[in-house]
Amino acid sequence: MGEKELTGIYFCQLSNGHPDALNISELAEYAKGFEGVPVVWHSGDFLLSDADHIAARIKENNLSRIVIAGDTPGMVKTFFTKAMAKAGKNPGNVILAGFKEHGANTMIRMNLAKGVLYCAVLGVPFEAATVPGETPVNTETMVIGGGIAGIQASLEIADGNQKVYLVERTATIGGHMAMFDKTFPTLDCAACILTPKMVEVGQHPNIELMTYCEVIGVTGGPGDYTVKILKKARRVNLATCIGCGQCTEVCPRKAPSEFDAGTTLRKAIYIPFPQAVPNKYVIDADNCTYVENGKCGVCVKKCPVEGCIDLDEKDQEVEIKIGNIIVATGFQIFDPKRVENFGYGKYPNILTSLEFERVINAAGPTEGNITFRTQDKKGNWIFTKESGSPKSVAIVHCVGSRDENYNKHCSRVCCMYSLKLAHLVKEKLPDTEVHEYYIDMRAFGKGYEEFYNRIKKEGVHIIRGRTAKIEEKDGKLIVRNEDILANRLVEQEVDMVILSVGLEPREDAAELSKMLGIAVNEDGWFTEANYNTDSTNTFVGGVTIAGVCQGPKDIPDTVAQGAAAASRVLQSILNKKVKGSIKELSLENIEEQAKQLK
Amino acid sequence: MSTRVNPNLIKEIKKFGASDWNACFHCGNCTAVCNLTEEGVLFPRKEIRALQMGLEDKLISGVEPWVCYYCGDCTETCPRDANPGELMMSVRRWLTTKYDWTGLAGLFYKSLPALIIGFILVAIGVFAIGFVKDFNHEAVMHFGHKLEFWLIISVFTLILVPNILRMFYFTVIKPKVNASFRSYIDAVGTLFLHMFTQIKTLKCDKQTVRWLEHLLVVLGYLGLLVITVFLDWFGTENKIIIYLGYITGGLVFIFTALLLFSRLNKEREVNKYSQPTDWFFIIWLFLMGLTAFLVRLFIDTGLLANHFWLYMVHLMILAQWGILIVPFGKWTHFLYRSFALSFANLKKAALNVKVAAAA
Repeated sequence: MGEKELTGIYFCQLSNGHPDALNISELAEYAKGFEGVPVVWHSGDFLLSDADHIAARIKENNLSRIVIAGDTPGMVKTFFTKAMAKAGKNPGNVILAGFKEHGANTMIRMNLAKGVLYCAVLGVPFEAATVPGETPVNTETMVIGGGIAGIQASLEIADGNQKVYLVERTATIGGHMAMFDKTFPTLDCAACILTPKMVEVGQHPNIELMTYCEVIGVTGGPGDYTVKILKKARRVNLATCIGCGQCTEVCPRKAPSEFDAGTTLRKAIYIPFPQAVPNKYVIDADNCTYVENGKCGVCVKKCPVEGCIDLDEKDQEVEIKIGNIIVATGFQIFDPKRVENFGYGKYPNILTSLEFERVINAAGPTEGNITFRTQDKKGNWIFTKESGSPKSVAIVHCVGSRDENYNKHCSRVCCMYSLKLAHLVKEKLPDTEVHEYYIDMRAFGKGYEEFYNRIKKEGVHIIRGRTAKIEEKDGKLIVRNEDILANRLVEQEVDMVILSVGLEPREDAAELSKMLGIAVNEDGWFTEANYNTDSTNTFVGGVTIAGVCQGPKDIPDTVAQGAAAASRVLQSILNKKVKGSIKELSLENIEEQAKQLK
Repeated sequence: MSTRVNPNLIKEIKKFGASDWNACFHCGNCTAVCNLTEEGVLFPRKEIRALQMGLEDKLISGVEPWVCYYCGDCTETCPRDANPGELMMSVRRWLTTKYDWTGLAGLFYKSLPALIIGFILVAIGVFAIGFVKDFNHEAVMHFGHKLEFWLIISVFTLILVPNILRMFYFTVIKPKVNASFRSYIDAVGTLFLHMFTQIKTLKCDKQTVRWLEHLLVVLGYLGLLVITVFLDWFGTENKIIIYLGYITGGLVFIFTALLLFSRLNKEREVNKYSQPTDWFFIIWLFLMGLTAFLVRLFIDTGLLANHFWLYMVHLMILAQWGILIVPFGKWTHFLYRSFALSFANLKKAALNVKVAAAA
């Protein structure tokens, strides 16, 4: 190259004044110091649609390259390729410097943003210039969350002969998948797939299972983390409990079963479900008479193992030292009580999809019979086998999802699981009419469209239109919709309504993200290192994410991501070192690396 | 039959309101959440569709926008923040300009300067007449009384009746609504019921107070009209008429003041996006009630002789109201809505005949 190449920079966004948002003026100041950059333009300096004007300004400055900087700069790229062509320059020389795309969209990531700009001006790929330093790795790994993602990741690593601590908040692993009746689109029994894996986790010599535990503090750095864990008092000795169940028989207190999504009651001393891992009892301190007033202890008297139940056990804090962390904390379901018009919580036979999964499950409160929710003698609304079956069921899609008033995102699984539930109703009660109300039918995966067609053929009424309100009239539920395709107003009388609730980030996801130093996106899901090419790494070295905590996804995708996260960990263990955090790289370091690549 | 598409329709209607209707993803929540929709009278999603597709003929042939009383349920629950309630309001404003054969409604809705110039010209005219008559109290008040009378007659015959006929043509004749003679007779009944009671608002949730305020303003306004124009309130000696005038005038300015405050505070969904025409309508109605009340009070207390300016102001307000707001502004909504509800019944009757024939 004889002549020196000149580059022009265009900032496609302005500082928005928010203290956390990137300060574009500071970036522009930084860019002015570059060699070979005679001009820096800002959004609003000229009309983007005026190609002639831009071409003239390109010629006037004799530019041969343009860098567009900002969040999603690709949106305005065509204006500049057009202008470059008009100016007689190579239209291929329009380079994008996307801040958000590289995780540099807040003020604390200013170094990264400057690095993105620097690399773009130099024409060096940002990823190549931001290789963090490496540190030796502790070969032990912690997985947070014992759902299918965490189980899969733990097994992959443990099968690779490496030690794993699996930390689970509840008394058993299994997560949401254990609660599902069937999986879509194959209609496999969810428990039949999951429980063998759970057992494997429980028995694996390389997995130390820490149930009823919560991560409360993380210190150290990539490859060498110290994690503080709160071991909540289980009040039953895991080592000595033989799971005989005599304690639960005599326990006088009842509470809604978490595992059965509140559709039935369990005792205050209980095993979450028959296939729980570990298959040992736990005491719900919030509902235990002894914990309340010190006057009970019948379980202790009944227990055949000396000293197994310790009602006075206290929470403990323990510390573990590990090298890598996999975050697989999953999701919580949307609380449909927030949508007043749907009457959930007011009318007993409006269910969430998760409640229905339990009702229709053969191991659930009704042994798989679809029945009504009725009040027991003590006034608890529960499902029993005897309370009669619905002649008509409505399934309402997108509850809390795709809604500016609640969660803006699509929860991705509801369309498919709703179709699955429709099928299950038809399978159990062939004469029951099923009406599904959807906004858009998203059958996006392998075999999903075929599944949708199959359900349609089964005679389910699938109606396009979002349900606006559900009211009760003479013991029947009235579901009010516009039938968009038939251009009619529909008031459908049904016996039961299933609300297909969406997925949302766990309430304390933001807290965990702060503890680990990873980011969350605007919906609250954990942010991956690169949306397209690296969905498991984060900007923090040694911390990977897997499953729904990264964004809504179905079971196959969750399993795949759990395995992918494990592969990152195994990679670092095999290399005996772990990459540091990209976010910790100094600007000088990025500049240095970029120059070397040039 | 194919439909002609007007790609600029959405831009055109955006001049009458302030929302992003392209955001709509056609879930039908707005239609289904509304208490006033029924088989054959579906809105607002259908209107948004027509708007997005540029189906001007379809939009103009519908009476649905007038069935909406803007309770705001659809906007509050819209999952896309597309604001269907404000769309219905904007379409009503747009329809007003389409029904109006003079084109002045369109001019005043779209251009605030034109509206203000109109108000100034009328004011100049009123004071010019006062000047010509030497501000002789008796002569001016006599003229004012005559003006009121002739204004009502001419606005009614020259503007309102032709516009209603145009509306009838757009919504019933052109779409070939085939209703029986019997249903026309029924429609007249609904016309007067809704014109004087707006009873349908009560079907909306949480609208009872608004309906009552609205009803009192309408009754007050119509009462005041009859009492000043036909019973000569300012000239009469009849005690009953005088007291009735005070009551109706008071109703008008007290309840318009309440409505004005809620519009200022934007406490209801309906009040969140006010256009100049909305402000002029409510403020002028308030001023009319207030000045009429004060004029009679000044007459009774003997103050008017030395404060004749008050009557001039009242006359100015009245002329602006009668010449600009009644024929071309928001006042027409009162008329169009009542007619639309009775046309809607014609359409429903025709639809039922069709359905029965098909069966």
